[in-house]
Amino acid sequence: MKKVKLTIEGMHCSSCASNIEKSLKKVSGVMDARVSVMTNKGIVETDDFVSLDELKKAVSKVGYKVAKVE
Amino acid sequence: MGHNPNHKHEQPIEDAEITSWGKKLIWSWLLTFPIAIIMLTERIFGFPLIEMPYSIIVILVLGFPVIFIFGWNIIKSGIRGLFTFYFNMDSLIALGTIVAYATGIFSFTGIVQDYSGVAAMIMAFFTTGKYVEAIARGRASQEIRKLLELGAKNSRILRNNQEIEVSIEEVKVGDIMVIRPGEKIPTDGIVIRGESNVDESMVTGESLPTDKVKGNNVIGATINQDGILYVKVTKVGKDTFLAHIIELVDEAQGTKIPIQRLADKITSIFVPVILILAILTFFSWWYFSGDLSRAIGVGVAVLVIACPCALGLATPTALMVGSGMGAKRGILIRKGEAIQTMKEVKIVVFDKTGTITKGKPEVTDIYSKVNEEKLLEFAGSLERLSEHPVAKAIVFKSNLKRYKRVLKFKVIRGMGVEGTISGKEIVIGNRTLMKNEKISFKLFEERISKFENEGKTTMIVAENKKVIGLIAVADALKDDSMDALRILNKGGYKTIMITGDNERTARAIAKQVGITEVIANVLPEEKAKRVEELQKEGMVAFVGDGINDAPALKQANVGIAMGSGTDIAIEAGDLVLAKSSLIGVVQSIRLSKATFKKIKQNLFWAFAYNVVAIPLAIGGVLHPVVAEIAMALSSITVVTNANLLRRKKI
Repeated sequence: MKKVKLTIEGMHCSSCASNIEKSLKKVSGVMDARVSVMTNKGIVETDDFVSLDELKKAVSKVGYKVAKVE
Repeated sequence: MGHNPNHKHEQPIEDAEITSWGKKLIWSWLLTFPIAIIMLTERIFGFPLIEMPYSIIVILVLGFPVIFIFGWNIIKSGIRGLFTFYFNMDSLIALGTIVAYATGIFSFTGIVQDYSGVAAMIMAFFTTGKYVEAIARGRASQEIRKLLELGAKNSRILRNNQEIEVSIEEVKVGDIMVIRPGEKIPTDGIVIRGESNVDESMVTGESLPTDKVKGNNVIGATINQDGILYVKVTKVGKDTFLAHIIELVDEAQGTKIPIQRLADKITSIFVPVILILAILTFFSWWYFSGDLSRAIGVGVAVLVIACPCALGLATPTALMVGSGMGAKRGILIRKGEAIQTMKEVKIVVFDKTGTITKGKPEVTDIYSKVNEEKLLEFAGSLERLSEHPVAKAIVFKSNLKRYKRVLKFKVIRGMGVEGTISGKEIVIGNRTLMKNEKISFKLFEERISKFENEGKTTMIVAENKKVIGLIAVADALKDDSMDALRILNKGGYKTIMITGDNERTARAIAKQVGITEVIANVLPEEKAKRVEELQKEGMVAFVGDGINDAPALKQANVGIAMGSGTDIAIEAGDLVLAKSSLIGVVQSIRLSKATFKKIKQNLFWAFAYNVVAIPLAIGGVLHPVVAEIAMALSSITVVTNANLLRRKKI
């Protein structure tokens, strides 16, 4: 299991955060995603096969941008 | 290994956001202000500043960049939201402004009146609102951000007996750091030379400086005060104390608080519901009043007044401010849920050793039937093999130069130790162990009771099934344990001490500290079960160290894990105390309650706002621009109110 920390730009409130969470969770291989509007961070738990691009795409699909990956 | 200059001077995303909203704000108003003047003069004084068809063109030209350039991000994200069914706040604003702007274009056909000025004003106010909100949100997280900035940038290390300055990324485990008075300790390590006082308040909340001598652990980001310290690096990067704290705070922000669930459910259907309401409102107004322009105006007002943001920010902002206040005091909220549960807690259970007491027992009395040296020789040799704090105290007291060889050593958890020394069978332990081993201690009963009544843990030493002496060990109370217990008792909490000690010793300590109820003779693994039994009476908070008490911490409704100075228990505990003090427990209870109260307040206002504002907009009472201002104010109010939590004394 991997834990990826994403810094996400452009969130206004937790409804944005929950949209991103929903979108991330739809990526196959993502086990859990928690996004916080206050820290502008998302913590994503994935299996070893999920690529960062897939995660980034899931975020941009709902209108936000991944600024940093840790 | 090279420098990475981009990495260090990166602007935090929060600041970048504020700057970007700020720029948009200035440009938007520069263009919107003339629009407002054109609209107002016409409205108030009844004469147009610019002739009619031209004024619309001017407004459309000025308004275009406000909406489609400076507001492009919102329009883009909003439209995308509409098409992908991931509706968001932006969808409402995008739709509202585009519809209003379009009226300007269609007004030339004569079917509608021009509303396009409203579009620019909505966008300008929305931008203003977001700007103020971003500042307020930044303030809400200021303490946490200070934590992030706390880490040292450079370190002076010894290489080939020479002091060289390197960037923190280049420091490795095993390096020797040289830290002068007044300097920041770059990363976690152990003192190998020198003596000093270190101010650890920034990470543990402990206000008094801590003595550091050879062999003591130091924490990165704390400040060396008055002596030179040579410190061997033990942890770098993600493994450090500070990194763990930051990790905890980040994780906590992602956890959900039960009370937020309703708000989350509402926000998730909020935008589609408002869209439908706006459409219904538009058609009803059009149908009943026959005035298309009016119907559009009211519809737009409904779109822009609705604010899921206030609802969505109510909990996270308050939690953030609360977390920050806690972090400053060495209280880390690990699970947001604990904040809500805390107010239901009626019973607070304390582990004894290391929680109420210092966890560093010392031998206070020795009662020996044989030569005292011989007793200590047996005891010291045997206990040396055990990790228990009491064992360590005995080893320290025995101060042996040479230890006897021990065969068949065995630890009986929660009871004592046994083994064979020079062919003699030695057993050291409590009453239970003696009973199990069928060793009679009747002759010592009076003496044992006396020690126990003084709150001393008494170890019985037996040689070949015969008692040869007693060793009494006492563990001093932490300085503020009594204060903390007094406050909790006064606050109406039922306080209970749980310990592996026997009843009498436990009672004596409980009495000293001010606890009335004692659960004694509990084996470490039974603690969780005892907590479970207590939960039948009410919600239980358990206070203990994160290592031995992990199951009990998990079982309790709220687990408060105590740090031990340089280590924090990351995995166990809903709340984690970086400092090892019971006042921290009192503070964390106060903090949880205050934060939760603030969350409730915020949610109430956010709900109330929407419940009042949306019907007003549907009723056509509010001009779209007024509606937008109200919307912006509602989320600003929520964030500002969260920031007011700081005024609360913890």
